[in-house]
Amino acid sequence: MDYLIFSFSLMLIYIGLAQLLHIQFGLAGIPNFGVVGFWGLGLYGTGVLYVTYSFPLLAAIAAASLISAAVAWVLAYLVLQRSGQSILAATLALAAIVATLVVTEKDITGGVQGIGTIGFPFSEMANRNVIYFGFLLAVVIGLIWVSARLRDSRLGRQLIAIRDNEELAASLGKDTAAAKRMTFVVTCALMGVLGGLSAPLHQFLVPYHLAPSLTFAVWIALVLGGKGHNLGAMIGVFATFGLFDILIETYAPVPQDYALMVPNFKLFCYGALLVLIIMYRPTGILGEDAPHERPKAAPTPVPDTPVKEG
Amino acid sequence: MKLEAANLTKSYHQHEVVNIEKVAFGAKGLEGLIGPNGAGKSTLMGLLTRRIAPTSGQIKLDTGQGARSLNPLKSHEVARIGLIKTNQRIQGFDSLTIRDSLRLAASDPKTEGFMSIFAGERDAEDIEERVSRLIEAFPFTDRNGYARSGGEKKLLDILRCLIAEPKLLLMDEPTAGLPDDITRTVMEMVREKVAGGEMRVVVVEHDLPLIWEYCDYVHFLSEGSILFEGAPEEVKANRVVAEKYMGV
Repeated sequence: MDYLIFSFSLMLIYIGLAQLLHIQFGLAGIPNFGVVGFWGLGLYGTGVLYVTYSFPLLAAIAAASLISAAVAWVLAYLVLQRSGQSILAATLALAAIVATLVVTEKDITGGVQGIGTIGFPFSEMANRNVIYFGFLLAVVIGLIWVSARLRDSRLGRQLIAIRDNEELAASLGKDTAAAKRMTFVVTCALMGVLGGLSAPLHQFLVPYHLAPSLTFAVWIALVLGGKGHNLGAMIGVFATFGLFDILIETYAPVPQDYALMVPNFKLFCYGALLVLIIMYRPTGILGEDAPHERPKAAPTPVPDTPVKEG
Repeated sequence: MKLEAANLTKSYHQHEVVNIEKVAFGAKGLEGLIGPNGAGKSTLMGLLTRRIAPTSGQIKLDTGQGARSLNPLKSHEVARIGLIKTNQRIQGFDSLTIRDSLRLAASDPKTEGFMSIFAGERDAEDIEERVSRLIEAFPFTDRNGYARSGGEKKLLDILRCLIAEPKLLLMDEPTAGLPDDITRTVMEMVREKVAGGEMRVVVVEHDLPLIWEYCDYVHFLSEGSILFEGAPEEVKANRVVAEKYMGV
């Protein structure tokens, strides 16, 4: 039971990350391939501050998220106005740097041996796992709600315009660089928050947690579900993490001899699913989402101006 | 309203495309800029709106609140002062409906920040009204949908610039790709706004009858330099213009 709650909690983290990636890539068109880097800064930042520097857990999470934000801000200045490929390469490199630093700076991170133990919030309560799961659920629902509001807001419309044609948006007076930078920094900081919130789940942090597979899992989930759809990220995580990591790994009656094959089989299925989606439904399972028009009072009728001749 | 350029040059690979000693736009209400293909008209427009960086030269804009050099400004800052350009080639936001595209252009960038996520209403009543009035004036196939044809996209591009309420509007070949009657409606609308003192306009065009009909003053650009300026009749009668452009 505890393991199941752990899995579901982790799934919530994935949904949150995919939702943030939906804002970055689906709305603003920023291809962030360093999701695990920003998440990892939050995760390891929290671990290091909590264990090595004895911060209280909440303060550690907040400080670690600020580190994610600061790094995102510097990176935004350096690469956000360059091409998509540059952003992709730079964010991927950042994730690699974070993973490497965690191994080399063993005085504070514990190196390859890892760092722990991270305290668990609500520790005085009996069913703290369930309470924490509920807390994560509230955070992720909040994220999805804000992301839906964002899509329907003036800022969201501006981001979509920038994604479609940045030069044109700038020619209409939109400070496209600032809008992208702000969006990137805030969403990366929130990835850091999710990283910090993952620390108590993992309890003991090892560099393996910072492997790029998390970035790919989140990307695959987003592309599967539909990068342009508000709920695509969630559906994508259900179809990948939910299906394989929870359903199959926990419940499928896999014979002992084949158990070791499951993770590889999972990667194989991810790949096959991705190829099928890209071939037959490039916008994802849910497809593109049109902004939600709130019903409005009918505007005062304007008489049709006749087209003037000659 | 005065947009001035002095000693403005632009070279690509040592090939000089624009070399203008001095030119001023915006003094008269509706001005025309004509010239043969490759004269540098579009490059000049791009230089003026800071979309293209000049090789050398000064650009100044005086909106009545003191002259400001445009040289250090970015493209969006130029637009915010009130200098906006329509596009010669079709440009658009593919994921925005006609209405959203216009609402975007009508919105003050200051209201599009982070806090707008939590605003109750997305667009103020007056923006909705201006958008509706503009859309109703033209025969879009689907007024609540997306711009379909190239013509609709081109029209939408011009309308976006109009609804942004520039002080000086540069129109780069507004007739290219637009049906004649739509061009007329647009130009009548522009003329009305100019007469009402809302804005000044510079039109770049190959459609000379349109220039002669609507413009109060015409600049003739050839081989990157301004060769002649004057009232439409003077330009029409000018020997250099006739030789270089009209081929008579």
